[in-house]
Amino acid sequence: MDMTIEGGRTLNTIKTLKPLGGSLLALSVALATQNAQAASDAEAIIQNNCLACHTQEGEQAWSRISHQRKTPEGWLMTIARMQVMHGLQISDEDRRTLVKYLADRQGLAPSETEGARYALERRLNTSESFDSQAFTEMCARCHSGARVKLQRRPASEWEHLVHFHLGQWPTTEFQALARDRDWLELALNEMVPELAQTLPMDSNAWNDWQQQPEAPVAGSWTLAGHMPGKGMFHARMEVEPVSGEDQYALSLNGQYEDGTSLRGDGQAVVYTGYEWRANIEIDGQVMRQVFALQDGQLSGRMFLRDKDEVGADVVAARDVSGKSEILALQPAYIKAGTEAEISIVGTGLKGLPVLGSGVDVVEVISESPDLIRVRARAAKDASGVMVPSVGQAEGGRFAVYDRIDRVKVVPEFAVARIGGNGSSTPRVEARFEAEAWAAGADGQSGTADDYRIGFVPATWSVAPFDAVAEADRDVHFAGRMNSNTGVFTPAAAGPNPERRMMTNNAGNLKVQARVQDGLQTFNAEGQMIVTVQRWNNPPIP
Amino acid sequence: MKHLKAINNKAQLLSQAVADDSVEEVVAMSSLAGCTATTDPGWEIDAFGGVTSLCQPMEADLYGCADPCWWPAQVPDMMNTYPDWNKDAMNSKDDWRNLGTVFPKDKN
Repeated sequence: MDMTIEGGRTLNTIKTLKPLGGSLLALSVALATQNAQAASDAEAIIQNNCLACHTQEGEQAWSRISHQRKTPEGWLMTIARMQVMHGLQISDEDRRTLVKYLADRQGLAPSETEGARYALERRLNTSESFDSQAFTEMCARCHSGARVKLQRRPASEWEHLVHFHLGQWPTTEFQALARDRDWLELALNEMVPELAQTLPMDSNAWNDWQQQPEAPVAGSWTLAGHMPGKGMFHARMEVEPVSGEDQYALSLNGQYEDGTSLRGDGQAVVYTGYEWRANIEIDGQVMRQVFALQDGQLSGRMFLRDKDEVGADVVAARDVSGKSEILALQPAYIKAGTEAEISIVGTGLKGLPVLGSGVDVVEVISESPDLIRVRARAAKDASGVMVPSVGQAEGGRFAVYDRIDRVKVVPEFAVARIGGNGSSTPRVEARFEAEAWAAGADGQSGTADDYRIGFVPATWSVAPFDAVAEADRDVHFAGRMNSNTGVFTPAAAGPNPERRMMTNNAGNLKVQARVQDGLQTFNAEGQMIVTVQRWNNPPIP
Repeated sequence: MKHLKAINNKAQLLSQAVADDSVEEVVAMSSLAGCTATTDPGWEIDAFGGVTSLCQPMEADLYGCADPCWWPAQVPDMMNTYPDWNKDAMNSKDDWRNLGTVFPKDKN
């Protein structure tokens, strides 16, 4: 998916307004700002493309369209659905203009996306759980619940959505959790009121958000990130405004902990005042940034656009004169009684780095406003979670531990998908990490003072999850685990004549991590389902 | 279930799952964002939380499920939305490579 808008705004305006004649052209001259021009573009596109089915309800109001609020991806999916189901013909450029216009005017406030951003960030191994059993059974049965939680509608629009589902996919009523009860009655009389109440069109959060001043974006940013299977990185990102509403050019320049570079150029768009979406070409592959801009920071996930399981958690801060901020420590832990090199990533860093009680900075190896590298030594009796500081800046998190108490496999449950083998559907890898925990001051495992140490190196393997998986030789057929990186590459798609009944290379596997801490060995387990392709793969799962 | 007797392995697994009251647990585990929780039959995961009771190889019975839109969020439904999805793959066993993803991406 690529929703960025590149130059050519003026040309586009003329192109889209032309069929409407002289009066609108004259009006466009009066539109002083770029924003107004973009709005006028979008309204012209709606007039020209949408009103064969939708009706005009007011100067800037149209049936259905004006009664919903969504994320940029939500609006993109709506317009894509119009293309697929209703034969809408629209250019990519016009589609981007519409997404921008609709997401800006009828978006979600940042607080309204809380708890559902994993879907935008393509964290597809997120296990969903909702308070409402009715919602889980009605909506999250087929697609992610987040797809619904990222929309706002009045009751009448939720009701339209129910009818649309039943009309488009009539077997909805025949599946389990539908055929066993009066599905339509429940959908209309219980689900619609619940949705209208919990996900309403009118909200204080949205009204308040629209009054907020625009946050600055242009300038220099520092990024700190972590990519499963690859490791930590830090980078600088230069952001310059370009022609078009909320459009920026980017250049990213950074380095992974293993020394490989992370460098590329791209474009970004800010939707709804905070939804940062960028595409950056790095080593011939496009990486997409899905970030939220809040409190002067960007945070979210950066992933390969065409292989989105490969991605990094990212937090970023902008250089602001006189402001100093710590984003992350890399690595963010040290073992008591040992020495290690630690990077402090931030902006405007100046002054003496202090990592916490019992941790001495033995040497400052290098120093710049966005990166300080130190050699640190932790005392034998040091322990706990520290909040480091550099001069006036306090922040980040630094764990000091004497021994690992336990290790968890993250994610605990994951899905990989077979693919490739001459098909257009790529394999979907699964990437695992070993997360170490300490028992805390009381030395008791599982108590409130336990603390997370961080992701630690592990040796990885897979094993049959159960007797059936063993009998079917799932380990042999389903794919290969990289013992060093924790990256599982699933096997080829297609029927496999070597398997019983020519079955696919699916499998049910235990994911095993072995972690060494001094003389002690820790074993942790997760589960991975290696399963079949997904062909319907919109931006929100 | 009291009038039915399990006579094959799959049926015995089902009886056992019902007896252990573990069916709901399995459904909860399968609710990863984007995977279907419909497991009768399932697409990614079966009613027992594994893959052995899925209709596999899925190519053998794909259109029996894609046509009546059994998992429309994962597999293009051919009843209403994507009637031509399999036009180059009429024989799914041999032509499955011609099945493509359906979301209309930008073309640039």
